[in-house]
Amino acid sequence: MTSSPVTFPRVLASEAGKMTGVRTLRWTALSCVAVAAGTAFGLSLFARPGGGATGASLAVAGHVLAQLGFLALGVTAGTEEFRTKLAHVTFLAVPRRLPVLAAQAVVTAVLASVTAAVALVASIAVTAARRDALGLPLNLADAETVRMLAGFVLHQTAIALVGLGLGALLRRPAGAFVTAVVGVVVLDQFLAMNPGRFPDTVRAFLPGAGTRLLTGDDRLAALDAASSGPHLEPWAAGLLVAGWATVLLAAAATRLRRGDIASWEK
Amino acid sequence: MIQVRALTKRYGPHTAVDGLTFTAPPGAVTGFLGPNGAGKSTTMRMIVGLERPTSGTATVDGVRYADLGAPLHSVGTMLDARSVHPGRSAFRHLMAMARTHGIPRSRVEEVIGLTGLESVAGRRTGTFSLGMGQRLGIAGALLGDPGTLILDEPVNGLDPDGVLWVRHLVKELAAEGRAVLLSSHLVHELALCADRVVVIGKGRLLADAALGDPALGAGSLEDAYLRLTAGSVEYRAGAAGGGAR
Repeated sequence: MTSSPVTFPRVLASEAGKMTGVRTLRWTALSCVAVAAGTAFGLSLFARPGGGATGASLAVAGHVLAQLGFLALGVTAGTEEFRTKLAHVTFLAVPRRLPVLAAQAVVTAVLASVTAAVALVASIAVTAARRDALGLPLNLADAETVRMLAGFVLHQTAIALVGLGLGALLRRPAGAFVTAVVGVVVLDQFLAMNPGRFPDTVRAFLPGAGTRLLTGDDRLAALDAASSGPHLEPWAAGLLVAGWATVLLAAAATRLRRGDIASWEK
Repeated sequence: MIQVRALTKRYGPHTAVDGLTFTAPPGAVTGFLGPNGAGKSTTMRMIVGLERPTSGTATVDGVRYADLGAPLHSVGTMLDARSVHPGRSAFRHLMAMARTHGIPRSRVEEVIGLTGLESVAGRRTGTFSLGMGQRLGIAGALLGDPGTLILDEPVNGLDPDGVLWVRHLVKELAAEGRAVLLSSHLVHELALCADRVVVIGKGRLLADAALGDPALGAGSLEDAYLRLTAGSVEYRAGAAGGGAR
C-alpha cells in the first residue's frame, strides 16, 4: 500500500463523518430548533400592541432557552471522543492532535450555524400569524432587523464553540455542561438580580453578553440605562463571545498538546 | 522496528516505567510480559504518543511516533477493544480511521474480511461481544498495512478459534518481516507464538531474551516468568497465607 500522509482535509472528512453519525448530536440539533421555535411561538402569544415588541424581537425570542441546546451541542462535540474512549484511536491516527480539535471546531461551527438558521426560519414561520395580527412585519430592508436575525445565528454558533472549548478542555460531559450553563446563563441571571457597578461590569464581559447582537436598539438603550457597567456596542459584544470561544479552544489545545491521553480518560 | 531507550514515566511520586530499554526487531514476535501494574500498557501508550515520557525515548523505525507523517501505515496499534463509539457500526468506525490517511474503502472491506467481521460490519459496536471488539481492534491495526504492530492483550475474550487465529496471524505478520510487540498474561500462549520475550516488573526490565535463551533458565516460559517476577508482583492472591498459587 502506498503511504499517504495525514492532511487537514482528511482529518476534517473523518471528523465530519464521525460527528454527523452521532445520534445525540442529531437529537440535540433538532431540539435546538424545536425549543427556539416553540419558545418564540409561546412568547409571541403574550405580546401586546405597544408593548415594545418588534417583528425581529418576536422572531428571536426563543434564544435564551435555545442557548442551552447550542451549549449542549458544543459540549457533546467536545467530549464524545473522551466519553467513549474513542480518543485513543483518533489520536493514534492523528498524533499531532491539534488538527483533530481544529476539525471539530469547523464541523461544530457549520453544524451550529445551519441549526441556528433552521431554528430562525422555524421561529419566523411559527410567529408569522401573530406578527400579522399585531401589525409587526419583518422588514429585511431594515438594518436593525438584519442585525438581530444574523445576530441570532452568530451568537448561537459562538455559544456552541464555547461549549466545544469547555468540553474539549474538561473532557467530561456533565462537568463541562454544568460549567457552561453556569458561565453563560446562571451567573448572568444571578448578577442581574444584584445590580451594582461591579456585578454589572462582570456581566458585561460574560459570554452571555453576545445576546446584545440580537437585542433591538430600544431594548439595548433601556438595558444600558439600568446598568452601571460598560455598554458594549452589539458588534463588540459579538467579538467578546467569539473571544471567549477562542480562549477556551486555545486552553483545550494547550491541554491536548502538552498532556496525556490517559488510559483512565473516558 | 520499535526502539525504547531509558524510557521513564512518573505520575507525581509514583514511577510507572523506570528507565526501560528494549527493542522489538523486524521479522519477530516480541512477547511483552509482566504482572498487573508492571507498566506494560503505559510503555505501549508512550511508544504510540498517547502519553508523554517523563524522560527517555521511544521510536518506531527511528522516528518518534508523533513525527510520523502517516502513522497508520507505519504502526498498527490495538490497545483497548473498547475504544469504539458504541453507536457507530464497525464499518463506519474503520472508515473514520481510514479517512484520516486517505485509505480507500476497498481496504476497509479487506480488513473486515481478514478479521471475519463481514456478517456484523453493519452492526452498532455497542452490541459487540468482547471477542468481536478484539477483532475490530485488530482490523483497525491492520488497516494501514503497517510494518510494526503493537497489540495489547489481543486474545483477551476470544474463543479458542479466535485464539488460534491470532496465534497464526502474528506469526504470519512476523514472517512477512514485520515487527510485532504483543502483550499477554497468557504465558502459555506467548510461548507458542513469540520468538523473544521482554519481561518487566515495577516498570523495570527483568529480562530481554530469545525464547530458549539460557538467560531464561531451564524449564518452561511460565517457570521463567514466575521466577523473574517473584519480587515484582504487587497484587498476589493469598500472599498473607504464604503465597499459595
